[in-house]
Amino acid sequence: MNLSAKLVRSVVGLTAGLAMTVLLIAPPGLANEQLEKTSGDPNQWVMPGGNYSLTRNSKLAQINASNAKDLHVAWTMSTGALRGHEGQPLVIGDMMYFESAYPNYVYAVNLGDIGHMVWKFEPPRNPNAPPVACCDVVNRGVSYSDGKIIASALDGHIYALDAKDGKVLWSAINADPLKGQTVTAAPMVVKDKVIVGVSGGEYGVLGYLSAFDIKTGKLVWRAYSAGPDHGMLFDPEKTIDANSQKAVGKDSSLTTWHGDQWKLGGGTTWGWYSYDPKLDLIYYGTGNPGSWNPTQRPGDNKWSMSLIARHPDTGMAVWAFQMTPHDGWDYDGVNENVLFDATVEGQPRPALAHFDRNGYGYVLDRANGKLLAVHKFDPTVNWATAIDPVNGRPTVDPAMMTKAGVNVKHICPAAQGDKDEQPSSYDAGTGLFYIPTNHICMDYQAFDVKYKGGFPYVGAILNMYPASPEVRGRFIAFDPMSGATKWAIEDRFQDWSGALTTAGGVVFYGTLDGWFRAVDMSNGKVLYQMHCPSGIIGNPITYMHDGKQYVAVLTGVGGWAAIGLAQGLTKASEGLGAVGLTAALGDYTNLGGALMVFSN
Amino acid sequence: MRRAVLVLGVGVAVLAARHAEANEFRVCADPDYMPFSNRAGAGFENAIAELTAKALDAHLSYTWASNRGPGGFSEYLSRNLDAGKCDAVMNLPFGNQEELTTDPYYLSSYVFVSRKADGYDLDNMDSPILRKVKIGFEHDTPPEDALKLRDLISHAQAFSVGDSEGVSPASMLEAVGARRVDVLITWEPAIGWFLRDYPDLRVTRVPNSRASGAPEQYLFSMAMAVRKGDEALKQRLDRVIAEHKAAIDAILGRFDVRLYPAAGDSL
Repeated sequence: MNLSAKLVRSVVGLTAGLAMTVLLIAPPGLANEQLEKTSGDPNQWVMPGGNYSLTRNSKLAQINASNAKDLHVAWTMSTGALRGHEGQPLVIGDMMYFESAYPNYVYAVNLGDIGHMVWKFEPPRNPNAPPVACCDVVNRGVSYSDGKIIASALDGHIYALDAKDGKVLWSAINADPLKGQTVTAAPMVVKDKVIVGVSGGEYGVLGYLSAFDIKTGKLVWRAYSAGPDHGMLFDPEKTIDANSQKAVGKDSSLTTWHGDQWKLGGGTTWGWYSYDPKLDLIYYGTGNPGSWNPTQRPGDNKWSMSLIARHPDTGMAVWAFQMTPHDGWDYDGVNENVLFDATVEGQPRPALAHFDRNGYGYVLDRANGKLLAVHKFDPTVNWATAIDPVNGRPTVDPAMMTKAGVNVKHICPAAQGDKDEQPSSYDAGTGLFYIPTNHICMDYQAFDVKYKGGFPYVGAILNMYPASPEVRGRFIAFDPMSGATKWAIEDRFQDWSGALTTAGGVVFYGTLDGWFRAVDMSNGKVLYQMHCPSGIIGNPITYMHDGKQYVAVLTGVGGWAAIGLAQGLTKASEGLGAVGLTAALGDYTNLGGALMVFSN
Repeated sequence: MRRAVLVLGVGVAVLAARHAEANEFRVCADPDYMPFSNRAGAGFENAIAELTAKALDAHLSYTWASNRGPGGFSEYLSRNLDAGKCDAVMNLPFGNQEELTTDPYYLSSYVFVSRKADGYDLDNMDSPILRKVKIGFEHDTPPEDALKLRDLISHAQAFSVGDSEGVSPASMLEAVGARRVDVLITWEPAIGWFLRDYPDLRVTRVPNSRASGAPEQYLFSMAMAVRKGDEALKQRLDRVIAEHKAAIDAILGRFDVRLYPAAGDSL
């Protein structure tokens, strides 16, 4: 059953009072209900993930497995920005909206008059922000609701722009670069709230998720990822520890940190957010705990590396599930949670699937976080020898734990994970997830003597390299319930773009070296490919205009996958190149953001 | 920690360097980072480079580049030493794997800097007074790890002198003088030369420790470095360091770089 279709049926109607104000641009309505409804309209693409479930699945079928070979470029335009584009356009009515990498230009383009930028918004530049963006100055896109485009800027400002003319209706501050905080995530609008998290786990930031009032930009609640219960919005009696399926109890985070270390606890929240209107729960993941060196932070370090479900009105946590306690590898838990109906013992079960940096695909009951299935989605995973099928706790291979004074060889996956933020796509027809993945391992060498201008110190060295000769990425069709990989396309570099499945039986994705591909969902055969101006770390979407189906994607290489290329750091690329990760990327692609639109 | 990729990673840089003139000693150095070096040649690394050139009977030539630009010291090495713009740098910790280090030419330490008038009892990182005072430290250096280990980090003030072009290490002493920080923990060679402007401050060495389990290192030996594989130049520089020890020590003394003996310390 297609979830977005189900959501549409639950909508009872529009709110008349707001109906008049936004007619020119898009159909009116209250944020939540209107978005639910329009996300079921395959002609538009109204949310970053296509719908609240983040399935990135479209019912459009004009482009299909038979005619995808005839695809061609319909039109393109530059985004005016050079660095990593990890987002996607929205299509609302006849308008397309998208945001570039820093300096975070936001564009409104008239689809009826191609090339006509109806407006362009450029936020004030904050020079303090780029230096504390750990992994390139990326952006993951805008959201839309109620006649407003909601855009986050790297420096932590959240802007509500009038969709008609780009005027700033309000702005809010969600992060302070002087404290190491930045924002790269795409906000999500739920009901009357804008939900958005924070980046900066490498700079001692304690992560949090914020909710702003969509009308005024006022902060309604903020929920931290670690620390006292009241700061995390955890109810000791009611919030469920999803691993044990018991109440979390008092101080569930504080008891897993030594002393005050939770204050630098990490657990940043820079990934994708999903929402189940029926359960009224939002879902997201938290990143790595605050210090690289695990020897210095004994304990499980909750609730870093966790999936958390909260009520959007209050922010109160309903459940939390930790995947990687006491992280020693940087396996951030921020990847997307895709809502789907799993079949458990013959019965449909409202579930979410999460393909983690740590190489395991988790399926959880989305009402209480109970683990329903867990399987490796890359065969090389070796940091854990097993995951407990009941409580999800990993059995860590002690030989693979990084620690002070110990060199560890061949840890799989590497710190970039078997999958980073690049979002997967789910097709209810095949019951499979189509997942862009990394295929990389690393060596960890403890205690090298290093130097920063003027100051010697001891640090660790991390070497990342392909898990198989010349294969750093795999695009896979995967069943998270059985752990079976139906087919896989092996790629030279990490597959760091998102995926898009369609009712035409075609799945779309892009490669780090710039190939945009249409692939037969049934067998993984590449039906069409086109080499784009820059490598692809953006996420394809599809829409209908004037009776014709289009597929659009932002190209513009960068991000962590291509950090050497993005920042012009010869040492980083040489260092990685010595072990063969991405040094060759510059032989195949170049920086530069561009929107690419394809059609038959 | 995603930042790891930026600063970590061993590369065997195999870059063909332009062969230096036999009588030229080509050095890369920061044009604006006293007391280490500057374009006027006023820093102690300038003075060591001059002494070395003279001992090699070579003409000293500089390529100037910031140590503290984007990508940090690793990027500086890559773009300058590895790229063949020079044949040596005067500053890399002995044993660093990124380049080929010479024998060390000095050994110094991280130190506590405090106001004489306060008379703090500062022996090591576990000194009780550290729990009561405002501590300053350089971001991403061994004291930061030690403060985290002891739950002192949340009350401490981080400085980023080593990442910020144009910022003088003297700014940290100023913070102590102005009572914004009570105890500064920093690399002595970075601040020794400036201490003459702060007669009310005193310096106490931070000893290496295994008190908390993992080894904590505060004593570092500093060397010159050449490109990996340039054994010939390394050997010539090693000879200069061995034969001119007294002169090198005298230069370091002029800049108040305190030399700490290794005796009793486990590196």
